[in-house]
Amino acid sequence: MNAASRLAAALLAGCVAGTGALAQTLNVVGPWEIAGIDPAQTGYVFSRMQVAETLVTTEPSGQLAPGLAESWSVDADGLTWRFALRGNAVFHDGTPVTAEIAARSLERARDGVGVLEQVPIAEITHDGPEVVIRLNSSFAALPAYLVHFSTIILAPSSYDDAGRVTQILGSGPYRIDRLTPPLKMELVESGQWWGGSPGIAEVSYTAAGRDETRAIMAESGEADLVFSVLPVSVDRLRRNPDLDIQIATIPRSRIVKLNAASPFFDDIAERQAISHAIDRLGISNVIPRNPDLAATQLFPPAMPGWHQADLPPLEHDAGRAAELLAQAGWTPGSDGILQQDGRRFSVTLLTYSNWPELPPIATALQAQLREVGIEMNVAVGNSSEIPARHQDGTLEMALISRLYSIVPDPIGALLTDYGPGGGDWGATGWDNDQMQAVIADLAATADPEARAPLQRRAVEILQEELPGIPVTWSELAIVSGKRITNVQVDPLEVNYGLAAIRWAE
Amino acid sequence: MTHIAATPIPRRPSRTRLAGALLLALLAGFALLGPVLIEADPARQDFSASLAPAGGEYLLGADHYGRSLLARLAHGARLSFGMAFLSALAAAVPGVALGLLAAWRGGWTRRVLDFLSMIVLALPGLLLVLLLLAFAPGNFGPLFLGLALTLWVEFYRVTRASAAVLLSQPHIEAARLLGFPPLYILRKHVAPSLAPTVTTLAAFAMAAAIIAVSTLSAISVGLQPPTPELGNMMIELLPYYSEAPLHVLLPAILIFLMVLALQLLARRDTA
Amino acid sequence: MRRFLLLRLAQAGIVTLVVGAACFALMRMLPGDPAMRIAAGRYGPDAQIAQAAERVRLELGLDRPLAVQFLDWLGDLARFDLGHSLVTGAPVLEELKVQLGASAWLAFWAVAVSLLIGPLAGVLAGMRPGGMADRAGLALSIGLRAVPPFLLALGLMLVFAVGLRLLPAAGYGTARQMVLPALTLGLGLAAVSSRVTRNAVATVTHAPHYLFARHKGLPEAALIRRHGLRNAATPVIAYLGVQAIYLVEGVVVVESIFAFPGIGHALVHAIVERDVPMVQGTALVMGLMFVAITAMVDAITAWLDPRPRSA
Repeated sequence: MNAASRLAAALLAGCVAGTGALAQTLNVVGPWEIAGIDPAQTGYVFSRMQVAETLVTTEPSGQLAPGLAESWSVDADGLTWRFALRGNAVFHDGTPVTAEIAARSLERARDGVGVLEQVPIAEITHDGPEVVIRLNSSFAALPAYLVHFSTIILAPSSYDDAGRVTQILGSGPYRIDRLTPPLKMELVESGQWWGGSPGIAEVSYTAAGRDETRAIMAESGEADLVFSVLPVSVDRLRRNPDLDIQIATIPRSRIVKLNAASPFFDDIAERQAISHAIDRLGISNVIPRNPDLAATQLFPPAMPGWHQADLPPLEHDAGRAAELLAQAGWTPGSDGILQQDGRRFSVTLLTYSNWPELPPIATALQAQLREVGIEMNVAVGNSSEIPARHQDGTLEMALISRLYSIVPDPIGALLTDYGPGGGDWGATGWDNDQMQAVIADLAATADPEARAPLQRRAVEILQEELPGIPVTWSELAIVSGKRITNVQVDPLEVNYGLAAIRWAE
Repeated sequence: MTHIAATPIPRRPSRTRLAGALLLALLAGFALLGPVLIEADPARQDFSASLAPAGGEYLLGADHYGRSLLARLAHGARLSFGMAFLSALAAAVPGVALGLLAAWRGGWTRRVLDFLSMIVLALPGLLLVLLLLAFAPGNFGPLFLGLALTLWVEFYRVTRASAAVLLSQPHIEAARLLGFPPLYILRKHVAPSLAPTVTTLAAFAMAAAIIAVSTLSAISVGLQPPTPELGNMMIELLPYYSEAPLHVLLPAILIFLMVLALQLLARRDTA
Repeated sequence: MRRFLLLRLAQAGIVTLVVGAACFALMRMLPGDPAMRIAAGRYGPDAQIAQAAERVRLELGLDRPLAVQFLDWLGDLARFDLGHSLVTGAPVLEELKVQLGASAWLAFWAVAVSLLIGPLAGVLAGMRPGGMADRAGLALSIGLRAVPPFLLALGLMLVFAVGLRLLPAAGYGTARQMVLPALTLGLGLAAVSSRVTRNAVATVTHAPHYLFARHKGLPEAALIRRHGLRNAATPVIAYLGVQAIYLVEGVVVVESIFAFPGIGHALVHAIVERDVPMVQGTALVMGLMFVAITAMVDAITAWLDPRPRSA
């Protein structure tokens, strides 16, 4: 087939399939809106869509892998890290990616909001082809932090005089052709990527907030690649012979965050009672529609080293819940709600709708806690209310979705969640010296052998003390059309490997 | 919501209006008596009955949590009617009163009130409702206040225009000159001619309120779970449309019928 | 004419001030810490929001006295600068150009669809009140009005995108992507405007001057064109003017289901995320649009029906 007839055929197919755009474009649809182009805000879109790159990236298995940095090393004292840049990377405006530019880009990221705040960095400099990061104290997880999207390396011309990002000039295989925030982005091949030429030259990204919309776009054939399709729709799309579905377990858990300093949850027996009252299997069957997602411990099986298969699981046992509550001094009142010293067991659970499954899970929890005599009101609001109420100590309960791979090493999340004073998305009113010591050791330890017992101890403490109660684990469903092949799933959602996708023959 | 005010209303009860009234009575009966007669708790979940089909243990089936749809529909209907009635009332009372005041006093009173109504119209209604809802998310109060605030203008404008025409009629002007008390004139001469128009507007306002409440649920700024609100139910069940189409349609049909009944009842002439 | 323009300009000025002040006051009276809301809006729910909020507070000067912040806004406004969005950092004017622009286009096409369907159906029905066309139009109109918009949207998507594969289900940017959302809104609109037209036509065709002209023996088509349409158009234009305003905001659900970057979507976000300049800017521009549209409607009706009106 010659080029012209191929074009004609493709155009015809485009018209028939109703793709709207040219058939040569890879149409990607996901739920994420582009709200502001600052890397700390929407860097993940640019990283996943391979517009911009970080020094370090990950394999689909979760292992760290070279990104813009070809290799890295740390001095014996653990304080000076060196990241050697690959020599052949070029920004979309033609500037070569040098260690000096990369160091400045990282400095800017450190000045802003982002994960680098949590790293004890003394200074970021450059030395020949190497970015040099000096630390105040040993921090073994540093390379993992450089995977985070807020640390994408941008060309100097991306910033204005005040140092604010005004455009995204990255070094990835695709450059931005047109950006129409908040819902649309069009990309074209950059033509100078160090990794070679991408299989498809044009990519269009559309943000569609509603799951039904994304599912229909996949069904109608106008989207080639759809991310985050909800389980209900997945069940339907599975029956469609034109679509492929891939599912990955992602390191995200939905947990009930409790205020362990409130009179309702200050007794460990009360927290365990709540855990026993929750029918995880029932919830997992109905909402994520996969019984394997019932969270019997905090970390899912897809997190080797952190998931402890032989740990006694958290189980549903309403009888045991009642016993524990009685033991903690709660007696049934005349209205069927438990009471203690004249106080009714009536609490409010905050949640938010950024993740569409949270309000339904909250509704299910509400009904289940009612069975053991606890009145739980659900308030669906803005996600910021949970950290706000955490900070001022008025939080009672919250249902949250916690990502443990914000940096690929979960230690990043543990540090912010279970350190002194707890965390926005971790413990409230629960300070555990033993836990803090274990986390500090983990942060400074790189050797997997030495880490294993520490990881085990951390998970055991969380399972016993329940500062947060795991409810379900999460999956990511990716739907692709038969028009394309070689779709990879990245459970850490760092990079969707669009450049590797090819048109099917 | 239409703005063609003060078209004369023929007083003959048409067949469609009758049908509307009958349908409305049926639905109101369901909304009032349903929650009492149906013993099932609309919040009680039973995961083993998730999406149970109609006709089995659950008369109209169960939703994804295994909650009785019949019970939820009855409670939802009551809620929608209640909200709609209250908002229409809260919009009609000040709207009509101010409209009469403006028509009666004229001059500056009328100008100030006209200006006020124009400002409200210029403020996007959605903005007003969303702002008020942000004060107390998920509560009935602000939702109802916001709807009333956006709906009263309609009553005000129509009442003012119709009343101004009525008040300028010779026999009423004569009555005013003869010194009859205002309330007497309003009751005797203005109210009877105004009543059908206001009723029509109220029915339209109720229909608008029902759709608005369910629409706000659809963008998840409405009422909180597990409140059995019809729009909420529809949105919750929407993802299951291919597995259990009837379940999604039931709340939709109920909304449809409620709005339909109100529209039929509110018909001006054959509009 | 000059008086008319001056009056409208004064009206526009007052609307600007009142709407801007009302939005500012309401937004600032809302409960909760605006810095936290803005931070959550910017950095998403996975971030350490409390830490980010402190930076936001400093960066935006949210601790400054309210009067100073409001005067700042007024000062900027005097230079036709609506400020920057607190969340995205982009100029509000840019954001409005995209989002309000998208909604305005959608509203435009919805009105166009309704103009294509509504008056046509209305004239057909109004010519023979009580006839078949009238009854069918009535049933359809009442039915369409009672369907919640998002259900209509979903139905259209399933039929035209999944079933027939004729049109794209969602998205924004091409003409074809505009069809389904415009149809969703336009159908609802046509449902009402067809009846308004029908009534107007029915009234006009029973008016003495029309009957007289008919008696003179003018052919019916010419008759409608010459006498009927012009008089019947007045209420329709008035109605459509009002609807165009309601539409711009009434599209929020349709936007959300069609992944359309409109103003309803923007407003919901801006209020939740306490993006005061964005809310003020939106309200302001929409308020001015309201003044402009009412002025236009008045002008058109005056032109169509030059008799002086009392009301």
